Amino acid sequence: MRISIPPSWRTRIYRYRLTATKCKKCGRAAYPPSNICRYCGSKEVEFIDLIDEKARLITWTIIYSAMEGFEEKRPVVLGILETINTKARVMAPLTDTTPEELRVGLMMEPVLRRIINEGGHGLIHYGVSYRPLLKSTS
Amino acid sequence: MIIQLLRFIYSLLNNSFKVLLLLPEENTGIVGWGSYVPRWRITLKEIVETWGFNPEQPKELRVVEKSVAGVDEDAVTMAWEAARNALARAGVNPKEIGAVWFGTESKPYAVKPSATIIAEALGITPNAMATDWEFACRAASEALRTSIGVVASGLIKYALVIGSDTAQANPGDVLELTASSAATALVIGRREEAAAYFEASASYVTDTPDFWRRDNSRYPLHGEAFTGEPAYFKHIIGAVKALFAKTGLKPSDFDYAVFHQPNGTFPIRVAEILGFTKEKVIPGLVTPLIGNSYNSSALIGLSKILDQAAPGQRILLAPFGSGAGSDAFSIVVTDKVMEKRDKAPKVEDYLNRKQLISYALYAKYRRLINRID
Repeated sequence: MRISIPPSWRTRIYRYRLTATKCKKCGRAAYPPSNICRYCGSKEVEFIDLIDEKARLITWTIIYSAMEGFEEKRPVVLGILETINTKARVMAPLTDTTPEELRVGLMMEPVLRRIINEGGHGLIHYGVSYRPLLKSTS
Repeated sequence: MIIQLLRFIYSLLNNSFKVLLLLPEENTGIVGWGSYVPRWRITLKEIVETWGFNPEQPKELRVVEKSVAGVDEDAVTMAWEAARNALARAGVNPKEIGAVWFGTESKPYAVKPSATIIAEALGITPNAMATDWEFACRAASEALRTSIGVVASGLIKYALVIGSDTAQANPGDVLELTASSAATALVIGRREEAAAYFEASASYVTDTPDFWRRDNSRYPLHGEAFTGEPAYFKHIIGAVKALFAKTGLKPSDFDYAVFHQPNGTFPIRVAEILGFTKEKVIPGLVTPLIGNSYNSSALIGLSKILDQAAPGQRILLAPFGSGAGSDAFSIVVTDKVMEKRDKAPKVEDYLNRKQLISYALYAKYRRLINRID
């Protein structure tokens, strides 16, 4: 599986630091970032990083028929989370966990991980996954 | 009259211009520190049973389990988390970091710097140096000694030095029993801000082929017992003795001693040879619980000691890398260690977070199984 280099390069900061936009008018945060607020249509948005924020797990799905390039990660677990302070909704892979450990409301934190590995010769695309809080899995 | 004049000159040098009499190291210190250990562990018993090793081997190595990086982890992702912990303790603006120096022997790309990925992800780019260092397990150690020089000179304000490895071993090789995964990062800055300052340092390198990996080899080869006497022991002892000669310090002056820890026995033995008691080594000995994390091996021991040491205590740090070389650092803990300590997870937090996995899952996570992709 090959990913085009320019879009991957352009979005690297968003993927590494969970850069989102926060509307100056309605105050809601959106990830991925958008120049227009997806809630109220305002063009007055500011960029914020969500990488330091914990998030609560809202829902998740377990993918057993992983697409090409994701076989080694099977089962792929994708979650939708809400960040604690900014209330942004983020869809991201869940990691350092097993499906049995997941429950609605589980507190998780973002970590940098390999999202797509283009085999042994291509690029490695890094980005954020969420894991249960460090101390909760002790 | 002459004596009075000499006394005056001495006091002038010793007080007003004290900074001029210090070694360069003494102007610098560890402003932040942090480590990372993956959640997954495999017992040595499991590896022994898979490959038919002598069941007594784990006991001889004094290692029970080793940490295994997950399928979505590599030296870069582990370095990122260790560095985040170090930056949290340092409390510095990432833009003030003038160098990201990444010591590893398991970089994800053979050509393309890993340091730039880490620098970008941490918000350090673009006005910084960033490069990957290679010297087997000692790359980060040489980067550390160099960072002292560039910070002391004033060329940059802070350096971020990281040792991170997903250590490789040929499946079925004795090395597989210990080759593990972890990362440690240090922010080096001026002594005034440091949780621990450097007193002095020394290096010892020779051309000694005890362990190597060629361009197209997936796994390193090594000289079995040759990795001990002429490599590990000779170089660490050489570096530590050079440090002693330079400073006049002796083993009894140190509260802790951290050596490269390829297994649980070598650090204890080298300590005994040098005249350190076992009690000074054990607080920083992490390998029995997670294996040998190569570039993070000695540094994670230092990190664990900084998590618990009291102000005024002195630490000897002596990493080692095959090929071969060692550096010795004398480090003195300051009052600032107390206020920084709780700003990030401790080594102990990572050691306590563990989940055992099977050999099959370990083989998948570490890509020991060949697939066509």
